[in-house]
This record gives sequence, C-alpha cells and structure tokens, in this order.
Amino acid sequence: MSTIAETASRGQTRRRMRVDGWRWAGRIFLVFMLLYTALPMIWMLITSIKSGFAATQFPPQWWPDEPTLASYQKLLDPQNSVGQDFLRFFWNSLFVSTVTTILSVIVAVPAAYAFSRFSFPGRNFLFFAVLLRNMFPAVIFLVPLFILMRVLGLMNTHGSLILTYLTFGLPLAIWLLKGFYDNIPVQLEQAARIDGATRFQAFIMIVMPLSTPGIIATAIYSFIGAWNEYIYAYTFLSKNDQLTLPVGIQRFFSENTTDFPGLMAASFMMSVPVVVLFLILQRYFVRALTEGAVKH
Amino acid sequence: MAHVVLKDLVKTYGGFKAVNDVSLTVNDGEFVALVGPSGCGKTTTLNLVAGLVPITSGDIVIGDRVVNDLDPKDRDIAMVFQNYALYPQKSVYKNLAFPLQMRKLPRDEIDKKVKEAARVLDMTHLLERKPRELSGGQQQRVALGRALVRDPAVFLMDEPLSNLDAKLRVQMRSELKRFHQDLKATIIYVTHDQLEAVTMADRMAVMNGGYLQQYDSPAQVFAHPVNMFVASFIGSPAMSLIPLEASAANGDTVLTSAEGWSLKLSRLNARKVQRATTKKVVLGARHSTIKLHKSEVSSAIPAKAFTVEPTGDVTFVQAFLSGAIVNISVSPNIAVAPDEQIWLEFDQERMHLFDGETEMALKAD
Amino acid sequence: MAPPVRSDEQGHATVTIVTGKAEARRRLQPGRSGTLRKIWEHRADYAYVLPAIAVMLMVIAYPIYYTIELSFFKTPPGLQLRDKTFIGFDNYTAILTSQVFWKVTWNTLIWTLGSTFISFVLGFATALALHRDFIGRGVLRAILIIPWVISAVAASYIWKWIYHSDFGIIGAVLVGLGLADRPPNFIDNVSTVLPSLIVVNIWREFPFAMIMMMAGLQTVPDQLLRAAKVDGASAWQRFWHVTFPHLRNVSVVTMLLLAVANFNSFIIPWIMTGGGPSNASHIWITHIYELAFGRQRWGVASAYSVLLFLILMTLGYFYVRALSGNERNEGSA
Ligand SMILES: Nc1ncnc2c1ncn2[C@@H]1O[C@H](COP(=O)(O)OP(=O)(O)O)[C@@H](O)[C@H]1O
Ligand SMILES: [Mg+2]
Repeated sequence: MSTIAETASRGQTRRRMRVDGWRWAGRIFLVFMLLYTALPMIWMLITSIKSGFAATQFPPQWWPDEPTLASYQKLLDPQNSVGQDFLRFFWNSLFVSTVTTILSVIVAVPAAYAFSRFSFPGRNFLFFAVLLRNMFPAVIFLVPLFILMRVLGLMNTHGSLILTYLTFGLPLAIWLLKGFYDNIPVQLEQAARIDGATRFQAFIMIVMPLSTPGIIATAIYSFIGAWNEYIYAYTFLSKNDQLTLPVGIQRFFSENTTDFPGLMAASFMMSVPVVVLFLILQRYFVRALTEGAVKH
Repeated sequence: MAHVVLKDLVKTYGGFKAVNDVSLTVNDGEFVALVGPSGCGKTTTLNLVAGLVPITSGDIVIGDRVVNDLDPKDRDIAMVFQNYALYPQKSVYKNLAFPLQMRKLPRDEIDKKVKEAARVLDMTHLLERKPRELSGGQQQRVALGRALVRDPAVFLMDEPLSNLDAKLRVQMRSELKRFHQDLKATIIYVTHDQLEAVTMADRMAVMNGGYLQQYDSPAQVFAHPVNMFVASFIGSPAMSLIPLEASAANGDTVLTSAEGWSLKLSRLNARKVQRATTKKVVLGARHSTIKLHKSEVSSAIPAKAFTVEPTGDVTFVQAFLSGAIVNISVSPNIAVAPDEQIWLEFDQERMHLFDGETEMALKAD
Repeated sequence: MAPPVRSDEQGHATVTIVTGKAEARRRLQPGRSGTLRKIWEHRADYAYVLPAIAVMLMVIAYPIYYTIELSFFKTPPGLQLRDKTFIGFDNYTAILTSQVFWKVTWNTLIWTLGSTFISFVLGFATALALHRDFIGRGVLRAILIIPWVISAVAASYIWKWIYHSDFGIIGAVLVGLGLADRPPNFIDNVSTVLPSLIVVNIWREFPFAMIMMMAGLQTVPDQLLRAAKVDGASAWQRFWHVTFPHLRNVSVVTMLLLAVANFNSFIIPWIMTGGGPSNASHIWITHIYELAFGRQRWGVASAYSVLLFLILMTLGYFYVRALSGNERNEGSA
C-alpha cells in the first residue's frame, strides 16, 4: 500500500520535473529571442541620440556621454535642406501607401468574395493564378514594367508605384479575405435577401461588417508592403522630389556615410508609422491569419 | 396567405441532380413537411422556392404568380434557417426590424410591429441583446420572430428545431403547430426527423435521392407507404423488412424463408403476391403489428431475441429473422431475456408486402 | 436507391403556368455545350474578379511575355529596344557556361535554404514557447514581431552599423571579451559575408513563421491534447503525435512562403554589400538586377529571369498543392 503511494508520488515528481524542464527551456529560449530581436533596435536608438563623434569611438560608448536629439531635429526641420527632403519623402511614402491600401481593399474585397461564394468555371484556376503572383520576384517584372511604365507615361510618377504595389498586395489580401468569407455562413446572406435585401445590399449590410477584421488586416498588409517597398521605387523614380522613404534615405546617406546617428534616426523615423500601425491593429492581423489563412 | 405549386422542378449541380422532377402543390394555409434523409435535396428544394438558388428547369408558383425569375425579396416569403442565421452584429431588436427596414416601413410602424412580435414570442426583455448572448432556444425564437414580423404569404423553414435539445424541441414543436393554427399560415417545413413531420404536418412529402417518393397525409403515408424506402423511413423504430420467396403450395400462397420456415398468406395478401412479377417478396411489419409469444403457437415463427430495451411504457425487443433485424414492441410486464427463444406472429391485416426487385408496394388491384 | 414515384395525384391543383418568359430565357443561352453555357450562366460572377484579374494581367502577364521574348535577343545598352537582334539561345548558353552563374546559384541555395529553415525553426519554437499564457506574453509577442514590420532597408542599415568593421558593436563585444584581437570584418570577408547576411534575414523573417504557427497552434483541438494526456503521453509525445501532425499543412505553407520570399529577396544583400566582396553575397536576384540595370545587358538578364521563372514554377506547383491540401481539409471539416 505505502509502496504504491510512494511510487505514484515519485512518478508524479518526475513528470513535473520533465514538464518544468520544457518550460524552462522555453523561457530561456524566449529570453534569447528577445535579445536577438530587441538589441539591434536598442542599439539603433542609442546610436541615434549620439553625436557623430560619439558614434565613432572605440570601444563604443554603451550610453552616450552627451545624449542629443540633434539628428532628429535635423530630419524634422523644414528650414534645413535635409529636413525638407526627409519630410518630402515621408509625405510621398504616406501618399503612395495610402492610395495603394485603399485601392487594394476595393479590388480585393469583391474578388475574394467571388472566389469564396461563386462557383463559376475557371474559379480555381483564376484563384491559383492570383496566388501564383506571390511566387515571382520583383526583378522578373522589373525590365518589362520599366518599359510598360515608359509607354504609359507613368515613369517618375507615383502612379507607377501604386499600380505595381497593388499586384503584390492583392494575392495575400484575396487569400486572407477569402478565408474570412468562407467562414461567414452563407445563410446570413440568404436571410438578408429573403428579408428584402438585394445581393449587393446583403453584402454591404451584413457580410462587410462581419469581415471588418479581415479587411483591416488586408489594409495593414498592403500599407506595410507599400511603405517598405524598395526595388520598384529605386528603379522607377529618379527625380528627387518623387522619392519614397526607403530610396530617399539611401540617396542621401550614401553621400556622407559616416553620419551613423543620422542614418539610425532616419531608420527609426521610417519604422515608426508601420510599427505603430501594426501594434495597434495586430490583433486583427493575427485573427485574420487564423481565420483566413490557417483554418482554411 | 397563398398556395405554392412546384412543377417538374429540377436542380443540377454540375452533372449531379440534387432535385429531380419534383412536382407538388401546397394549398393555402397548409402545413407541408419535406422530409427525407440528409442530402436528399430538401434544402435545395426549399432554396429553389425561396429563390436563393436558380432553378435548372421547372416552374414555381406562389399565390398566382410564376416566380421563377423573381428575387427572393420579391417573392413575399419568410424563411427560418437551421443555424438561425441571426445577424451577429445586430441586436435582437435590429434583427427583427431589418426585414421591415428593407421594405421601407416608417419607423414608428416598425417599432410597433417589432414590439408586437416580441410580445407574442415572449422575448420583450431580450430586445437589446446580441444573438451570441442568447441561448439556443432564444435564438430560435428570434429567428421565428424575424419571419413573423413580415406577415409573408409563405413561411419556409429549414430544420428550425434540429439545433435544440430534445426537450425544447418537443416544446417548440407544439408551439409551432399552435402558431400555424392561429395564423392559418402556409408553411413548408424541411426536416430529416420523420417524427417532426408526422406530428406537425398536414401533408408530408417524403424525398430520397432528389426524387419525391410520396406526398400524402402522415396517416396515409404511415398506413400505405408506396415503397420500401418510405416504409422504413417513416415510423420509429423502423419497419422490419424481411426478404422472402413466394411460392404456391396446395392452393395457398406462402412466403418461404431461406431459414426454412414459411408463412401462409391471407387471401388479400395472396392476391397481392400473385400480381407481382417476381417471386422475391419483402415482408414489412411495424413493431406494434407483430405479436410476441414465449411458447410455440401455430402460424407463429420461431426466432431468437437479440436485445431487449425497456423504455418504461413499452419494451422493445430486437430479433434476427432471415438475416433481417425485426423490431417488436411488447408490454413491459412480458419479461424477455436476450437469447431467449421466442415466436413471432404477423398481423395479416396490417402487414406490408413489397416487390423484392422494384421495392414498390404490392397492390391487390 | 429507391425508384422515383410521381405521386401527388391528390391535391394537384390545376394551375396554368405561364412559362413563356422562362422558356425564352433558356433559349437565349448560347451553345448547347456545357462549359460555354456555364460561363454564360455565371457571367455576372466574373464582374467581381474582373478588376483583380485586369490589374494582374497588365502587370504580370504582359511582363512575363515580354521577358521571354527579350531573352532571345541581344540588346544594345540604354534600352533602345528597337535595335535588338535575335540570337536564339545564345543568352542561355552564355549564362550556363559562366563561372559566376554557378557561384551565384550556390549562394542562392545556401541563402534560401539557410534562411528558410532557421527562420521556420526559430519561429515555430517561439510560437510554442508563447503558446502558454503568462504575464507579459502580449507585450513580448508584439516586440518579437517588430522586425518583420520594419522595412528591410532600415534593417539593412541597422545591421550594417552593427557589423561595422571599426565601430560595430559585435566586434567591440568580441574584443572586450578577449575573443578577438581586433574587430572582425563580417561583411567584407568572403567567408563570413553570407552567414552574416542570413542572420539579418532571419532577424526579419522568423516573426512571420511565428505568427503563422501561432495561428496554427490555436486550431489544435484541446480535446485531442487532453485525450493524449489522459493516455499518458509526455509533453514531447503530445507535441510529436498530436500538435505537429495537426500543423503539417500550415508548416508546409509557411515554409514555402518563406522559401519563395527568400529566393526573391533583394534588399538586404543589395544594400548591405551590393553582392560583394567578389560576388560572395550575390544571389540570383541581385545578380539579375545588376546585369539589367548596372551593365544594361537586358537580354541576358531576361534569360536569367526565364530560368528563375522555371524554378519558381516548380516551387509554385508544390505551393498550390499545399494550398489545395488546405482546401480539401476545409471540405471535410
Ligand atoms: N452548392 C452546391 N454545389 C454542389 N452540390 C450541392 C450544392 N448544394 C447542395 N448540393 C448537393 O445536393 C444534394 C442535396 O443537398 P441538400 O438539399 O442540402 O440536402 P438536404 O437538405 O436534404 O440534407 C447533396 O448531395 C449536396 O451535396
Ligand atoms: Mg438541409
């Protein structure tokens, strides 16, 4: 009797130890990943508040002797030529990303809905053709698009970027949204149609509100993609006043590469909008992935 | 209120015929149940009537209009769905108001009608809740309410009770029946549960594999199933179907089992069998028409009890006979043990005979 | 299946049904052939996908066609494409016989496989470690996702600074710990440059794998895990026999998406090293870009693109298969 109890309790401690082992491994691993993720960003921030001189010391100053916001002031000062450029690039990026996002949603929503609800011939083929776009690198399209944009007279315009960005945002957007529509019972629309709505009204009044998280996720995805895009902007734009941030920053720091605090401050400023946007809306994004992509 | 006519209705998906040449008429104020096993095309038929899916061929008449090409919103129908299809983002009030809003009724009238429906269905206190904050039964009521506020010509209901628990289902069954009587409403009610159809409907349309099998009052369908499918589908426990061989022996017609026993048929039944084109005959008997004997009786057939299920009022006994399972109900004070030898006597008046090849009921004339 | 019985004789009201309109509509449909008729029946449905398809056609189909065409031509610099001359497969032979091609292909392989595999493993492990609720989990998760959100350009500059040969923080730490005499030169060294860039790439990409796998983990039925626990399965066994098989599809899709993204990546090598030193960090895409826009050899670059295209089509085949695997599961769920 007592031996049985003993064995049982020993078994239990052993099991608990094993579980604890995994849990500890998990914690240590998370700490490691946190350091890997955060340290580069922290170093960016620390560098950005150094003076040019303090940044180029060996051994480095772990914390600047005289922290300064000079780099930020320079970037945000409209009187200064660097500040003028930076603010212009920032505005360009904002414009291109916003328009791309709006258009993506307008195009992706009906397409995803159709792929989810209708069974027209060629539906699967078209759906996968759209998804296949994800497979191809920007570079493949670069030369012909370069020529196409020249033909369309869109060279050096934001239109060329918006048109291009639309296509690489669309496949995932359509895929995510389709997953959402798949999960909305078709009976809801049927009920609405019987209650007196047209097909379009049923979509706008019943289905759209339910797919808001998916639409928000789609929008974030498009916005971030457009905001961060580099290669098309780098190729299609050459006039200084048209550049978007990723290209612009490169242009103006390649002239004086020793200004690392400036470069880090600019990198930080460039990241702020998308990071903030993402952090505010991330729960939609994770939910959209769960409902749209994974549960499929 | 209005009558509904389906004429030669066909719906194909790709090459697959989900609904096959269904014709039936629902009279004004009639409660008709579409009943059949899962996947037999009931929902599709209902959706065709509602206009939610386009028909492949055939015609649908509601009232005096052919509605083939009309949108659902113009057919003057209301529908209750199996999963209720309540708008999750809207409160109960707004769910009820939605069909009225879509018909552009003035706001005070909407308010009046919604409150009236809520009062009738006893859910005034729930009006401000969201559907997910309601129990299954309450959601069901809201769904019903949303159909009710409209005062439509025809109610379509697609398994409205099948998501409820057993007790609530029985209660709602009688409420629905009451509701039909009070409103004199035309109702087409889809269910896979034959008991619901039998208890509620004026007439029931039994479907299988996209085909309409039989359309008649529950009593008629129960008493005179046209084929083996209907016979086994309607009634619980299911009718026992025993495959036998017909032969003539010194002037009598007998059914012989592969097990060796044989059954002498009454005159009427003999005539049915003689008119058949095959020797293969299937004997059908409902549990209540089989008499169980614990000792040998002439004209009773020996069998072995297999399971015994007391339910309180009656005890159900299952026995193997000629490779088929036979259900018998007996009074609870008759004690039967599994594996016990028993004798079964079939009621010639109430037995069913089917053609073993076409599976159709054999007729005497 | 029981035979049909047409038996609503009783109560079949005699209603004259005016079928003129329906008949006319049916007759209008062109062609008796099934597909054409179906397309016609569903004509309205196409309106929904038309904008998407139109945009895609213009920006994808045309470029693909043009790239293929150009790959058979010798092109003069400056994109005066009227002057191109047809040279058959010469561009292709030139590529396949060049030294650089094999070097770059090898780099691409290491880059793609290394980044994909490590990102996936780190992301999956992080997702598992984050699966159990604890205080601060949300914050931690948010921080871990940030590298994926910020632009690759910013990431490149941040890491370029970290790797800097004179003032880089890693070099300083190594010297401080006495592991090196002087700061190592990570990205100006043919043997360390590619691994160093892969570290940057993983930094940006593991969060994607993490999000996907977290989403996947949420769909693992608790009941199954509990059942396995009752059956006496250890934590590892539960993972291996329940969790992992359930995530198979998500894992395949995630890895394929990562592989494609890595195969196609450009910014990190381009900004950090420009493919150098001596091609040690050139991968296909950067190489094609340089051929096209640096040396203006459009024909050769196009031929490269076509080869790339073929490889991607192969990968794409598996991608579609994995996705349609998902579709099937959906059907049975
Ligand atoms: N949209 C559709 N596409 C293809 N087949 C369908 C579709 N809807 C229903 N079906 C098929 O039609 C048959 C009848 O379905 P349904 O009417 O829903 O059956 P029930 O309601 O009687 O269970 C089933 O076999 C089903 O698979
Ligand atoms: Mg159904």
